[in-house]
Amino acid sequence: MARILFDNVTKYYGSVKAVDRLNLEIVDKEFLVLLGPSGCGKTTTLNMIAGLEELSEGDIYFDEQVVNFMPPHIRDVAMVFQSYALYPHKNVFDNIAFGLKMRKYDGAEIDKRVRDAAARLHIEHLLDRLPSQLSGGQRQRVALGRAMVRQPSVFLMDEPLSNLDAALRISMRAEIKQLHHSMETTFVYVTHDQAEALTLADRIVVMQEGVVQQIGTPDEIYEKPENLFVASFLGNPPINLLEGELAAEGGKMVFQKGGFRMHFPEDMTIKLQAHTGRAVTLGIRPEDVNEQGAAMPGSAVSGTVDTVLPMGSEQYLSMTIEGTEVFFRLGKEHKHKDGDSVSLEVNRNRLHVFDKETRRSLLWG
Amino acid sequence: MSAQSTLFSERTEKWRFKSRFSERTRNAVIFVSSLILLVYVLAPVGWLLSSSFQSEAEIVSVPPHWIPHEPTLENFDAIFFQEFEEVTYDTRRKVDPAAGGYIPSTAKDLMPSMWNSFIVSLSVVILNLLVGIPAAYAMAKIRFWGRQATVYTILTTRVIPDIALVVPFFLVIKNLGLLDHVLSLIITYLAVTIPFTVFILVSYFESLPDELDKAARVDGCSRFQTMTQVFLPLALPSIVAVMLFAFLTSWNEFLLALMFTQTIASQTLPIVVASFTSDFTISFSFINAAGVVAIIPPVILALFFERYIVSGLTAGAVKG
Repeated sequence: MARILFDNVTKYYGSVKAVDRLNLEIVDKEFLVLLGPSGCGKTTTLNMIAGLEELSEGDIYFDEQVVNFMPPHIRDVAMVFQSYALYPHKNVFDNIAFGLKMRKYDGAEIDKRVRDAAARLHIEHLLDRLPSQLSGGQRQRVALGRAMVRQPSVFLMDEPLSNLDAALRISMRAEIKQLHHSMETTFVYVTHDQAEALTLADRIVVMQEGVVQQIGTPDEIYEKPENLFVASFLGNPPINLLEGELAAEGGKMVFQKGGFRMHFPEDMTIKLQAHTGRAVTLGIRPEDVNEQGAAMPGSAVSGTVDTVLPMGSEQYLSMTIEGTEVFFRLGKEHKHKDGDSVSLEVNRNRLHVFDKETRRSLLWG
Repeated sequence: MSAQSTLFSERTEKWRFKSRFSERTRNAVIFVSSLILLVYVLAPVGWLLSSSFQSEAEIVSVPPHWIPHEPTLENFDAIFFQEFEEVTYDTRRKVDPAAGGYIPSTAKDLMPSMWNSFIVSLSVVILNLLVGIPAAYAMAKIRFWGRQATVYTILTTRVIPDIALVVPFFLVIKNLGLLDHVLSLIITYLAVTIPFTVFILVSYFESLPDELDKAARVDGCSRFQTMTQVFLPLALPSIVAVMLFAFLTSWNEFLLALMFTQTIASQTLPIVVASFTSDFTISFSFINAAGVVAIIPPVILALFFERYIVSGLTAGAVKG
């Protein structure tokens, strides 16, 4: 019903390139998340799907049809905005019904659909209120309801949860996921929050400065980042990055930074052999360490703990490796205090190596 | 310890007294200042109103009477009912202005001119809305090439004094063959009021979030429907404010009307009232009565829409 295809789409604002040669296919009924820091072009991309921004170059297709010049009210899309954008002068019922009224549905049908949507979102009792009389979470639901009732073939969301408090955000995430399952339409969701992207998406598009960095499932994006930006944008606390060089040592590849060494496992060695002597950045995710058994040299990080940061369910240890501050995540069962000497075994199958110059992954690029 | 606390409470008392005293002083100063301002603003209007009920003799008497000793309706009677007799050089002594009852020769023009004023003002208001609202919406919400330049150009025309525009306006109106026609006033007043209308509405529309515009368009509104269904109802206070501004500007305008109008076919109220001084003598009582009649429509409008005016003019100034 609604496959969306970006064919070499570029968008300029004056001389600024907001989106640069975007090629992307959004499959029907998919939940696609556009993820990136602010100003990366993700909202512009969403607006181009809605028809709210014109393209500078390239084409957008809905199924087989080019929609470059189709105005938004003709496209079968609904959108939820970060600020909710409820009509301040209309009550909740009229806000939800507005899209249906503009599309000339008859009164009984409008009434039925609005009440159904309201019931699903648990806002039946608010239908007579004005938006100014609602809490943030309630407004969010009204905004969802307004998009839902139209039963659009594409559902667009522009950071819909960023104005909610943390607890509400988590529960709304679950509701949005359920909504996607029950509505069976294509969802395109914009966010800068990696946790939201990882929980909701079927596929994630990571963008930076108008350029797509990587497209993949949440696991692919997290486990096999294709470049340094993707690796460092996802993960909390962020991935630890150490700059050093690759060396060959008895048929095995080794990462060296001063006195610090890390041996790569067999399969990585094969991929890295061609890059001996190259300046690289080694990435170790904070969670990819454990403290069991005796750590072998070349597969462990050892040193003194600078600071222990307890986080309730877990703890972060901050250490210094060859002048670079790193963080590791450990369970609460390990008791540590500032100044302790520790040796942490690194899960070497989960190491990341990036070319220092091109910033591309030498393992997954 | 206790000495200290006594000292402390004494000090508190002192401060309390001080602050209470200073608050009273401040209130008194504010009250007196407002009173002075109020008298300053209202005295001329009060005199206009009072003298319209006085005979000519009473107006010129010394000291002046703020409250008429012998209130009379003869001035209003003259405006609405009196048959007019032309005053010529020969008949000039038939009526003694000082004794009252002197009616200027253009008195009969008062009501027709009021009708002209009304037509002109109403047309200017309607055309202002028809032109100003779409223009302001486009400038505030649609990105088009030259948008900033358009906004600034329109605003710049506001800083040109009317007197500088009189000659070019006159030539345009003359070439259009519209001299002594109400259309000449409607056209020129439109040129004078539109920039202000656009300025107020642009700043108000800009204060409304872009997402509201986008939401409406995704919801199925064309640009025009977005404007009428979403932006118009929200901009009501600003729209009332610009309507009033356009109406009052047109109602009170003198300079352009003086240039372009010659007969009662197009003369507006300010011109006719001014013409009352150009006879052989001046009837203050009659002019004042005419003044009272002239301010009634604007006063009614202002009272009716008063609550919109302030909020409309300041709306959009601060993002809310």
